[in-house]
Amino acid sequence: MKQILIFILNIIFSIFVLQHVCSAQSVDLRILYLNDFHGFAAPHQTAGNQEKLGGIAFLAAEANRLRQDRPALLLAAGDMLQGNPWANLFEGKSTIEIMNRMEFSAMTTGNHEFDYGQDVLQKRIHDARFPFLAANIQGLTGIQSYVIKEIAGLKVAIIGLTTEDTPVTTHPKNVKGLKFLPATETAKRTINELRNQSDLVIVLSHLGLPADVQLAKTVTGIDLIVGGHSHTRVEKPMKIEDTLIVQAWEHGKVLGVLDLTIQDKKILHYDGRLSLIKPDKNKVAPLILEIVNGYQKQTDAILGEVMGIALVDLQGKNSRFQETNLGNLIADILREETKADLAILNGGGIRSDILKGDIRMKDLFAVLPFTNHPVILKVSGQDIKDIFEYGVSDPDQTGGRFPQVSGITVSFNPAHPAGRKVTGIKIGNHDLLMDAYYTLVTNDFLAAGGDGYTIFKKIMENKDKDSAQSSRVILFDSGRDIRDMVSDYIKGEKMISAKVEGRIQKEK
Amino acid sequence: MRIWLNEQPLDLITGMKIRDALIQADLFQDIEKGSRVFDEWGNEVGLDGALQDGCRYTLKKTD
Repeated sequence: MKQILIFILNIIFSIFVLQHVCSAQSVDLRILYLNDFHGFAAPHQTAGNQEKLGGIAFLAAEANRLRQDRPALLLAAGDMLQGNPWANLFEGKSTIEIMNRMEFSAMTTGNHEFDYGQDVLQKRIHDARFPFLAANIQGLTGIQSYVIKEIAGLKVAIIGLTTEDTPVTTHPKNVKGLKFLPATETAKRTINELRNQSDLVIVLSHLGLPADVQLAKTVTGIDLIVGGHSHTRVEKPMKIEDTLIVQAWEHGKVLGVLDLTIQDKKILHYDGRLSLIKPDKNKVAPLILEIVNGYQKQTDAILGEVMGIALVDLQGKNSRFQETNLGNLIADILREETKADLAILNGGGIRSDILKGDIRMKDLFAVLPFTNHPVILKVSGQDIKDIFEYGVSDPDQTGGRFPQVSGITVSFNPAHPAGRKVTGIKIGNHDLLMDAYYTLVTNDFLAAGGDGYTIFKKIMENKDKDSAQSSRVILFDSGRDIRDMVSDYIKGEKMISAKVEGRIQKEK
Repeated sequence: MRIWLNEQPLDLITGMKIRDALIQADLFQDIEKGSRVFDEWGNEVGLDGALQDGCRYTLKKTD
């Protein structure tokens, strides 16, 4: 009888011990996140908004404060290194220095991280004291598929995913030799590998929110997606199936904060928000501010450097009314760089003159304040005729559509009826052939139909039978903007001259 | 790709952004007057946000 009693007591004790061992205590974890920073280090105003937001030194102060409450990971969901002179002039090095100082835990590799080319990207990966992730990119040394972080007794797996569109949204040479695998399949495979090694699976995604939602619906085993690419202001975490999805807008205007309570590999509780970042001299991280200001000083110095000398006044302000020598110069550079048959720019995009004498980078920012990139299209002779019928048809010539061109001569008579104003077109020295095809380079603004150029919209919509892509788009985004092309030309040539040559001839 | 802005279909190419969609729809000037773009889940999206085939966006006037 005594033995039976001891046996029963032993069983009860064993069950108690097993229960205690199996149900680990809950753990609180904080995820801080940022995406699509694009080098916006200083507070800035956006279109239609009077208030300045952002500023990485203020964001860092907020991150430091939030890290004191509970164990935290600081994650970046891509497109951190490119997009603003503060970052571009240093090929992303300035951003990495800030991220190192802020002690980021991991970063996914955004499509714009490739814009400086693979050699520069590898240098930035080398500079970083945190891993660059992308499970669906093969062929780039230094990029990891995932990382497992041990924090507060938890093993947190963080998997990077990058948009599969990267090869068509940057210059082909930037992704030469790399393979971009389907994100969903890659996620499934990697999660299978990691699920048993980790307590929490996070996908650090640069796919865009719609693709993140799709991923959450189709792939099981993801606890959290920290996203980027679509620049979405997800104020409260979204819950799709068993997966939470967050994203922190853009340009460091907010810091994402997600508090998790985790037990037995499950999220018991979550609470998330976006913390709006505004400049406040009492809430600033001084060491980060020092780095921001140091690079800003260098940026100002570079913008003030003499790049070349204008041998004549380069007149751009009149570009929305008539052919100008500065309009010709910019169109010539664009055509030469892209090897297109002809170039067309909207006169309204050229905003200032460069007077005879020193040319500084800041002068170029005044002339070309918009960050536009070249778009190369295959156009027919009839398309070209239609483009110029519209381009010279503005009765008061104030709308910005007046064309600045290279590789083409156009004559027109403003007194003729609409649609018959163009009286002659030559491509180089040859008459335009209506049924021939030519390569035309313009900027992304006109390509999207800006300034009313609906003809470009129609050209872009012309699709291949077997593809969703336009058959007429030869290159959409090289990852290099037109201002950079012009500045490189000026730095190379040094002595700059241009003249009005009668490329657009108005008959009286 | 095809997206919808204010229920109107727009055909764009891969790589184009919210900003390009607004220009194509001749609605960019509304942004300067204080309007904002929202996705189909009601989240605000930035002008440089990437687009994805089949997505729906709405331009709304905000205070």
